[in-house]
Amino acid sequence: MKKNMYTRITLVLFIIGLMIAVQYNTIQQPAERDTRDIWDIREELSMEKQRHSTLLEEIRSLHEVVDRYEQSEKTSLQAALSETVNRLQTQAGLTKVVGPGLILRIEAAPELIEMGYVIREISPDLLTQLLNELFKNNAIDVAIDGNRVVQTTAIRDINGRTTVNSVPISSLPFEIYVGTSSFKEAQKMYNSLQASSLVDSFYLDNFNLVIEEPMTQLTISAFDQPLTNDYLTEVEKGE
Amino acid sequence: MWLPFLGLLFGLALGLLTNIQIPSVYENYLSIAVLAALDTLFGGIRAQLQHVYDDKVFVSGFFFNILLAAGLAFLGVYLGIDLYLAAIFAFGVRLFQNIAIIRRILLNRLDEKRHKKNKTSIE
Repeated sequence: MKKNMYTRITLVLFIIGLMIAVQYNTIQQPAERDTRDIWDIREELSMEKQRHSTLLEEIRSLHEVVDRYEQSEKTSLQAALSETVNRLQTQAGLTKVVGPGLILRIEAAPELIEMGYVIREISPDLLTQLLNELFKNNAIDVAIDGNRVVQTTAIRDINGRTTVNSVPISSLPFEIYVGTSSFKEAQKMYNSLQASSLVDSFYLDNFNLVIEEPMTQLTISAFDQPLTNDYLTEVEKGE
Repeated sequence: MWLPFLGLLFGLALGLLTNIQIPSVYENYLSIAVLAALDTLFGGIRAQLQHVYDDKVFVSGFFFNILLAAGLAFLGVYLGIDLYLAAIFAFGVRLFQNIAIIRRILLNRLDEKRHKKNKTSIE
């Protein structure tokens, strides 16, 4: 009888111990303390919101495509398909684009040349930074010295020469064409580039970054090399 | 005698080593269940010391109290009343009372023992 009692108490104590340990584990779970203040959280929230709206936009555009397909199914499937192909080609940068945008000119700072500074080739890092800044300001099409920037574009140093799409950049000055979705966007980009510290970064490298007034009709050349594609394959017909 | 403590240690070790975690939503329920379990445990010890311990009462009280406490908390969440506070209050008060009674009983026993020793030494 007594032995039986001990067994039961042992069982109960075992359960109590287990519960306490689990509770302890659960309380200790956030080992890393959340030290973000309200502004960090706000920033994160706005970032997520932006992502949300981007996704919504994407969904809407895909819906439109579906609608178009459904409408044209009876009339002409081919037209819809070729339209999609055209749109994708434009998106990928395989076509010439005419639209609003602005031109950035990079030239050697003349006063620094007179002071005897040696003007070197622009570094890939600086160019990448500029590109990031442009895309941050909603740039859509960018061509650096006539080389269209696409998804697979690499800006890098090859044997001491800075290249875009493996084509060396011509000597200074050269121009960067930036296309935006609307003239208003181009104006916004113009203003924010004027205010950004990029111009200073360029001057540190002995360059002048000249930002020209936004234009309504800017022609940006197409990507002229074959688009290599290592991972996607065509689906066989009928599959 | 040491078997219950072994059980406690084994339970603690198992919980800590396996690092089981429950979703934070159920944290409240578990904390209340732990409180109820502790209350039952100390109630059991008190009953044992007062020689009124009953196995059935102890084991059924253990599970019933846990379920009742968690159920009250659950109901409270859906009614918008902090009913778990009632459980915490009740169990907390009883826990203290039980421990106080246990303490008194143990002190009395100690006193009695001392008394007996004194008596024998005087004689």
